[in-house]
Amino acid sequence: MGKIIATGTQTPDPLRRSIADQSAIDPLAQSIQSAPVVLYADDLWKFYGDHPVVQGVSLELRGGEVLGLLGPNGAGKTTTVGMLYGGVVPSRGSVKLGSISVQTAGHKARAKMGIVTQEDNLDPDFSVIENLIHFAHHYRLTGKAARTCAGELLALVNLEDQAHQAIDELSGGMKRRLVLARALINRPQVVFLDEPTTGLDPDARQEFWKLVTYLKQQGSSILLTTHYMDEAQRLCDRLMLLQEGRFIDQGTPLELIERTIGREVVEIAGIDEATVQKLAAQTQTWWRSFGDGFLMALPAEPSGLWQQLSGLQPDRLLRRHANLEDVFLRLTGDRLE
Amino acid sequence: MTQAIKPLSRTTGWQWPPEWQPVTLWGIYSVWHRHAKVYQRTWLVNCLPPLSEPIIYLVAFGYGLTPLVGEVSYFDRTVPYLNFIAPAMMAVGVLFQSFFEGAYASFIRLNFQKTWQALLTAPLSFTEVFLGDWLWATTKGMIAGSLTGLIAVVWGLYSIGHFLVAIPIMLLGSLLFAAMGLFTAGSVRTVDQVNIPIFMLIVPMFTLCGTYFPRETLPTVLKYVATILPLSSLIDLLRWNLGLSPFWGLQILWLLGLMVIFVLLAARAIYPQLIK
Repeated sequence: MGKIIATGTQTPDPLRRSIADQSAIDPLAQSIQSAPVVLYADDLWKFYGDHPVVQGVSLELRGGEVLGLLGPNGAGKTTTVGMLYGGVVPSRGSVKLGSISVQTAGHKARAKMGIVTQEDNLDPDFSVIENLIHFAHHYRLTGKAARTCAGELLALVNLEDQAHQAIDELSGGMKRRLVLARALINRPQVVFLDEPTTGLDPDARQEFWKLVTYLKQQGSSILLTTHYMDEAQRLCDRLMLLQEGRFIDQGTPLELIERTIGREVVEIAGIDEATVQKLAAQTQTWWRSFGDGFLMALPAEPSGLWQQLSGLQPDRLLRRHANLEDVFLRLTGDRLE
Repeated sequence: MTQAIKPLSRTTGWQWPPEWQPVTLWGIYSVWHRHAKVYQRTWLVNCLPPLSEPIIYLVAFGYGLTPLVGEVSYFDRTVPYLNFIAPAMMAVGVLFQSFFEGAYASFIRLNFQKTWQALLTAPLSFTEVFLGDWLWATTKGMIAGSLTGLIAVVWGLYSIGHFLVAIPIMLLGSLLFAAMGLFTAGSVRTVDQVNIPIFMLIVPMFTLCGTYFPRETLPTVLKYVATILPLSSLIDLLRWNLGLSPFWGLQILWLLGLMVIFVLLAARAIYPQLIK
């Protein structure tokens, strides 16, 4: 059997680059920290019957911030987002957008929100541009103003050529972009993106990410739920990890990775568990089973452990940068699928 | 820890009476406007059933049965058969169009197109979306009833004055049957289940409520059952030009009461599907 020994440092890694960048003071991160809180949720709980789905979630979203809610399916992400925009009534707790209570004046709050739900609920009875024009009507935007707004939004999401097409003729990525355009009609203060790229191909996801980055540059606050690690790392200033309805940790992607795992991990296969356990105990590092082998965090001074592992001549040995998937494996024991 | 925290009362997302949320006229109008725009896209096709249906019924039953029936005795008056069925055709138009819009179309908007869910991401409250849908189904009933009424006026079966008085009566009927439709849309789980109230209620009403013959010809028990059904009250009220029941006030109250009950039932059925 051929042996695979590799390190994951050959290809440029945007995360690693940004770790280096973060060693200097990040003016953008500083400006977000000093920005006012636009959305505030206090002690949100949601029960269905006696079953708690969300348990004591509190969060703050600041102006211009992209906050990611990360968690496996069933962690309570969508329910939490629903409570934030008023689609789900909390069993206890409250949400405020500025001074507006979402629970008692949801329609007022939603006038300042843009909501992209998981499902494509575009209007199949209307063409692409009519979807925007008629939705603008709910914001009291009518006539020429609505048509102008719809045209601008189609240009923004690069759907001008599809303006008069039927919804059924659009690809999945185009539909998601149109739902986003619809959510931006009223220049929202806060945009909710609930798993916006689930089911999209890589190209369509890239296109969607560009729009999110653009919105952030324009100063919108964004709350994103996802279970895609790369999406969370690329787009989010801060992450909150959810498991079984509770927040288990939060921080910037880099903070979470460094604090929970360290800088690097090793994927190893072809050696017995007792050996891995012994090595981990010696170096006081974290490990767990991973596929047909093991995953092991490398300590701050990794060379000793790395040499020992290499010396064991395992069937497979891969040294790579730690990522959010590893964070989640350590914190929850679950994969983010 | 979870045991120590007692959930508040809204654990199921529903309270009785329903938690009516803020309502603006614009919000209701905007939802109604959306449905009207969809209708407008294919208005010619959409206008066909409410126009053709009463003409077919009037021609078929009028010319087909008039030679056999000739005249009908109604409140001690003898009236030509066509004059007898014309107001009933208006009521049938109201029944079919408002109920089917409320039941089928709203079910599709709720469960397939997710239109309600999309509207609730806009600055609209549940109450506005609900009322907008209800009033649109009511509008469909009014379109059908009014077109039938106008045909009856042109045919010389109903005077323009009678027709003007019939408008608020048809409105009451449309509001009721639209609410019954919405209650159906909120209660059934598959689109095929919409057939249950159609065959258990709508078709029996269509045939037994004095549409094509006076209810007096029915066996006593069946006559009372048919009289309780709301289409009977609507038809009796629309036949006011031929004679008015001494219970006409009660019939209006009956329709109003049923309308309130079905609106609340419909809201109760739909609300938890949208606001979890």
